[in-house]
Amino acid sequence: MSLIDLIYLSQKSLRSNILRSVLTSLGIIIGVSSVITMISIGTGARLEVEQQIERFGSNNLILRSQSSNNRGVSMGNNSANSLTLKDMEALKNELPAISAIAPRVSLSTQIIANGNNWLTTVTGSTNDYFVLGNWKFENGRKFQEDEINSGSRVAIIGKTVQKNLFGTDSPIDEVIRINKVPFTVIGLLDAKGGTAWADLDDTIIVPLKTAKQRLVAKKFPGDQIRSMTINVSSSELLFKTEKDIDTVMRKLHKISANGNPDFVIRNYAQFLNARQESSRVMSILLATVAGISLIVGGIGIMNIMLVTVTERTKEIGVCMSVGAKKRDVLLQFLIESLMISLIGGCLGIALGLGVIFGVSEYFNWKMSLDYMSLVLSFVFSSSIGVIFGFYPARKAASLNPIDALRYE
Amino acid sequence: MININAITKEYIMGDNKLLALNEVDVSIKEGEFVSIMGSSGSGKSTLMNIIGCLDVPTSGDYYFRDKNISNYNSNMLAELRNKDIGFIFQNFNLLPRLNAIENVTLPLLYSGKNVKERTKLSLEALENVGLKDRTNHKPNQLSGGQQQRVSIARAIAGNPKLILADEPTGALDSNTSLEIMKILNDLNSKGITIILVTHEKDIAQYGSRIIKMKDGKIIEDKKNVSN
Repeated sequence: MSLIDLIYLSQKSLRSNILRSVLTSLGIIIGVSSVITMISIGTGARLEVEQQIERFGSNNLILRSQSSNNRGVSMGNNSANSLTLKDMEALKNELPAISAIAPRVSLSTQIIANGNNWLTTVTGSTNDYFVLGNWKFENGRKFQEDEINSGSRVAIIGKTVQKNLFGTDSPIDEVIRINKVPFTVIGLLDAKGGTAWADLDDTIIVPLKTAKQRLVAKKFPGDQIRSMTINVSSSELLFKTEKDIDTVMRKLHKISANGNPDFVIRNYAQFLNARQESSRVMSILLATVAGISLIVGGIGIMNIMLVTVTERTKEIGVCMSVGAKKRDVLLQFLIESLMISLIGGCLGIALGLGVIFGVSEYFNWKMSLDYMSLVLSFVFSSSIGVIFGFYPARKAASLNPIDALRYE
Repeated sequence: MININAITKEYIMGDNKLLALNEVDVSIKEGEFVSIMGSSGSGKSTLMNIIGCLDVPTSGDYYFRDKNISNYNSNMLAELRNKDIGFIFQNFNLLPRLNAIENVTLPLLYSGKNVKERTKLSLEALENVGLKDRTNHKPNQLSGGQQQRVSIARAIAGNPKLILADEPTGALDSNTSLEIMKILNDLNSKGITIILVTHEKDIAQYGSRIIKMKDGKIIEDKKNVSN
């Protein structure tokens, strides 16, 4: 008997009991949709982490001055700029694990150019800032050595600033006024896109010295700076270096080991780890649900196939009387259970896609559909159909023709 | 065609041994129309099931077309049933989900014939029993007589040498019974060997030879002179 004929006969008997077939495959439906959702959550989280690393650079720590407590009274977020360029040099000298540090001063101010004005954040830093922050140039160039040393009025702007001041025109060599001071635009950064909390492209970078002399002389007097981005040579050293920085900084600022520090170290990897961990927990949960429902679904199929075999005992006898071999009967029932589980697989894929779509829309949680998971679902559901369908099918095939024919 | 030597069939029911056939010898030639008669429990159905390879004897030898099939395995028996034997049952035994032509095609599916050949043979068989216009009807849309004719068509679709009919008119009224018996007669006149099991005397009269059974033994075996 050819496969097509077997499939034809199988679908006939499944269609005659369509509700039962669908209910039987419920376990498979839930199992397969869990598998798909699980894999999507995992892939989505991994991609998000990769994307964040792409945006913020990997192995970076941010050291930032923090409001100090003056006799128990918090002085507010910008009350003290406790970090200095001296701290930066000291850290570089004391900790060989640090490969580069980009210092940063910043202010929020109005920019005027081309008859437009725009409020944005201006950062004063060095060329390391672009390397560590993973910034690429769409156009123009970095600062030159003499521009950094002489405090030239040159600026590199982000995409959002370009859009609001120049539209689609090239901003290179145009003059913009920052706090009424004219600067020449020498570079345009590639777009990074927004995060949930900030538009990274809404930025202007000028040389540190220029910023300190012309823009933030009052806010950051002397060699004070707002923060520094510290790059660690390898990710294994990240957490150790974070501790070392804390130790060195406490020594420099004469703060005891349990005293309230006037700085804070942000470790972006920590956030990423937490994000990965939570999606891992979610995946384990879903994997458990998937595993249990696939097994329960398989047992459900076995159960209903046993019922079917009993119900159709006489029919099996008729088929045997007209020449069905054991193999024909075995295949017939195996294909029926395979079809039930594949129906479940298809509906499960549909449900899984719905869940993925719903969750990513509603919770804004990044999920990525992996085509491997579709293949995996088919493999899962079909092997369950075959494994759990085998016992009932063998039971049917081993019936004695005359006993089956006489069964009432 | 059929040679049965000292065939015995025992059933074990609890502690009791039931002897359904007790050293039965019988031989049937090609082209014969044999009626097997007997009351229920006489062993006539058991004999027919063994002849039809649906059941295997406890002891004894069975030669079908000069081959000893006593030691055939289940696959070989299935093939024999498929190619050489057609069955007609009292309660038709059609598959309820399949329409008339699909039911008739069933044995041809198992013999692995291609679609074209299958359709041709099935249509011919249905035409032979006068049901060419009912090919797409399901069994529950057909009368008892029509259902039995479908099952005859199924039995003859594969051009078997032997047809076994187990009380083929048992569920039918007398007029329909006559139609069915006429079809069987026609098939016999075309050279197909027919073995008919019945307990009705007038139905048995269609046979050219009548075998009477009682308590697992043949008590009478003679030519039907009235025919």
